[in-house]
Amino acid sequence: MAQVTDWIKHLTTDVDAATEGVQVADIYPAVGMEWMWLTVAVVFWLWFHVSTGAGEAEEQQKLARKRPGANDYKKNIAEW
Amino acid sequence: MFVAPNRLFGVLLREEKNMTDGLGALMTIFTEFYYWITVVLMFLIHVGFCMYEVGASRYKHHQHTLMKNTMLIPLVTVTWFFFGWWIYWAFPTGPGLAPSIMNESAALITDESLFSATWYVPTSNLMAVNLGDHISGVFWAAFLLFSWTAASIVSGAIIERITTFAFGILAIAIGSVFWTIDAAWGWHFDGWMLKLLGYHDAYASGVIHAIAGGFALGVLAVLGPRIGKFSSSGEPRNIGPRNPWFVAIGLFLIYTGFWGFYAACNIPIFDLGPEYGLGDGVTFYTATSIYVTPTTLSGITFNFLMSLSGGLLAGYWVSKGDPFWTYSGGLAGIITASAGNDLYHPLQAMMIAAFGTWCAYKLHYYVERKFKIDDAVGAVAVHGYAGVVGLIICGFVLWGYPSSGYSVGSMWVGTDYAPINPLGMFIGAIIMFGVLGFLPGWILAKILHGAGKLRIPREVELAGLDYNIIEQARKDERAVG
Repeated sequence: MAQVTDWIKHLTTDVDAATEGVQVADIYPAVGMEWMWLTVAVVFWLWFHVSTGAGEAEEQQKLARKRPGANDYKKNIAEW
Repeated sequence: MFVAPNRLFGVLLREEKNMTDGLGALMTIFTEFYYWITVVLMFLIHVGFCMYEVGASRYKHHQHTLMKNTMLIPLVTVTWFFFGWWIYWAFPTGPGLAPSIMNESAALITDESLFSATWYVPTSNLMAVNLGDHISGVFWAAFLLFSWTAASIVSGAIIERITTFAFGILAIAIGSVFWTIDAAWGWHFDGWMLKLLGYHDAYASGVIHAIAGGFALGVLAVLGPRIGKFSSSGEPRNIGPRNPWFVAIGLFLIYTGFWGFYAACNIPIFDLGPEYGLGDGVTFYTATSIYVTPTTLSGITFNFLMSLSGGLLAGYWVSKGDPFWTYSGGLAGIITASAGNDLYHPLQAMMIAAFGTWCAYKLHYYVERKFKIDDAVGAVAVHGYAGVVGLIICGFVLWGYPSSGYSVGSMWVGTDYAPINPLGMFIGAIIMFGVLGFLPGWILAKILHGAGKLRIPREVELAGLDYNIIEQARKDERAVG
């Protein structure tokens, strides 16, 4: 995974003429595997929407069935 | 005539040689730190919006209102990383409306051009820790904070009756899709609206505020008012703000964050000599607007404060000293003058701000009565109407100024840049508020409404979104007591 194992070696390795002897590039782990991380992130993002959307709807349906009045919350206000 | 930018962010984005030269490295690190600071300052805009919304909502909705606005942060951030930033760099040409000055093609900019969107796909090595790039991350983040602002503007208007799920979808739409399209069209130095229309919007009267206001109005038209907002005869009733102190502090924080917003719209230091082709050896370092046209941070500081003052004065006057509208007037004033605040005289900025605030206030109540639109925090007025008015005024006051430094031509040609003009700015205002704002908001809200996902059940709205939380807190209190 490690992209860099020796900073001196990394920073003094020529990659092209423009760098003038200094290696300046990506230093994060697992370079080249970005698509895998992206796929996992997108799946997580979609799951979040589905999961929280369903949870919210269920919670609100439960509360709607109880039919509290518009001022009923006032009797539950905590004083601490 | 094409004049390709030969340096622009090239000096910053492809900076390898710069970082081995002391002065070049200092310029790069200064620019990196400059944008980083703007991000920190703009974070206060979101803190302010959160406080403002909680202050404007009723006790029984407080926590859900706060969470709704809080959760737009991760939702917009993640999608801005996935595709929002890519859209900004890909869409300046329309596509198909005006050729890019980078590659002379009107297609999406996804080739190997210097500023191609291909560098900003989420798998690009420029979208990560990269010793060859000190700018992409902070510039990405500055734009992201604009995205949060756009979504947060919508959030305030629709409190107390929208589902968090629906708001999340809408926040992503305005924050990571529609505003970034308008930024590519009207804010990017290569945008087709600059070339065809002479569009100019230095501090985002249109590209953030008008579009977000229009989007909010489109959603509101489908969502409907809060229960009890209108009497059976259709007369509007006043609901809130419930906590004026939160509203006041929230708006002060938004003002504070706007300093960062203004700074983030500038390029802090730039050599216009070679950029404009002024001749061999000619250098002229200055701050520029996002259009790479010269301005100064000092000058826009005059204009920011004078437009804030013009808005506050007009808000206080027109609302007869109402605190909510006085504070909102300050914001509306800045927003109205923002389109041309890179060039206005401070007194022009002040008067333009005052006029825009007056228009926003009057239009808010006209639309509320006429169309039964319940905009809980006046967001459509303060951002949408003030933004539109600001764009139109800018077209007259800056009539004839170049919309870009690269080449100046005539309207509609599209291979060069039209000068700023009233017709182009009017059409630009329609595009921002109507085409990219109201229309997508209305269509998406219709889809969510059709799926039964837009509005919370009536019983929940009456009981309060926080009913269960409040009830549980009471049970906890009794158990502990």
